[in-house]
Amino acid sequence: MSIQPYNEDQRDALQEITNIAMGQAGSSLAQLLDVFVILSVPRVRIVGVEDVPDAVAEMVDDPEEVTAVRQAFYNKLRGETMVIFGRKGCADLADLMGHEEVQNSEDEEELLLDVTNILVGAVLNGLGEQIEVEFGFSPPAIMAMNTPIEKVLISDQLGWSHALLIEVNFSLEERGFKCYLIMLMPEESIDMMRQSLDHILESF
Amino acid sequence: MALPVLVVDDSGMSRKLTIRALPKDWDIEISQAADGFEAIEAYHQGKAHMMFLDLTMPGMDGFEVLETLQKEGLDCFVIVVSADVQPEAEIRAKELGAMAFIRKPINTEIVTKILTEFGII
Repeated sequence: MSIQPYNEDQRDALQEITNIAMGQAGSSLAQLLDVFVILSVPRVRIVGVEDVPDAVAEMVDDPEEVTAVRQAFYNKLRGETMVIFGRKGCADLADLMGHEEVQNSEDEEELLLDVTNILVGAVLNGLGEQIEVEFGFSPPAIMAMNTPIEKVLISDQLGWSHALLIEVNFSLEERGFKCYLIMLMPEESIDMMRQSLDHILESF
Repeated sequence: MALPVLVVDDSGMSRKLTIRALPKDWDIEISQAADGFEAIEAYHQGKAHMMFLDLTMPGMDGFEVLETLQKEGLDCFVIVVSADVQPEAEIRAKELGAMAFIRKPINTEIVTKILTEFGII
């Protein structure tokens, strides 16, 4: 199955609505950790599903050992969201929350799930508001802990031919903390999103 | 003489939305820039007595534009238009000389309100 890539206007529109959604997610994270969050420029691309693991690995600066949390979403659009934390990121988070809150690996896991839930919830709500879709989403689940990035995601697992990848990252000032949020959507959602984007573009 | 207004955003869609939100009867000459470097260049060409400035951009971001304007003592009325809705982002932008901060998505009401408050229109 071949997929028509987005044209420049569609990509620009998707990047911009993602930018607005991630702004809300960043603000939620800032509130949780009481820090200033630096936002990235969102990146959007469509790749064959066999290229997804490489595409994901490419965006992560420190691909040695990561912890990844996934959260699926569904409704008019469906797909997977992954939040990826480097080793340093996990330690920094625990640090920021205070060691009374995070005493063992169980607490740490729970913190990663919470942070993922906050980021994914804010991004999906933010996107959904703009394209007029209400998303349902699954609870967050740990995909991999301290695992080399290329082993986190195996393309066969997706069972898709193509994937739309939307990538953003959040980093903190004066700390090494950085986490990555990646949304993946299969072919029929790529087309559905295209319609939503055209609708937005037609409105002005 | 028409007021030179510069709209700075890496997104073409976002620039269009900002331009569309400006008051219709306002006598201005609009230029556009897609990043901070282009914005500073446009300023030096006299195209930015007023600037609508995005914060999150590749290359030179909006904070760096504000810093540059401040450091070089440049005279430009800057309104930030950003998706970064952290209160701290607004505080920082204003510390760096921004006069107002609009949270995306922008609309005509808020632009008109700000311009009226400052006696610009």
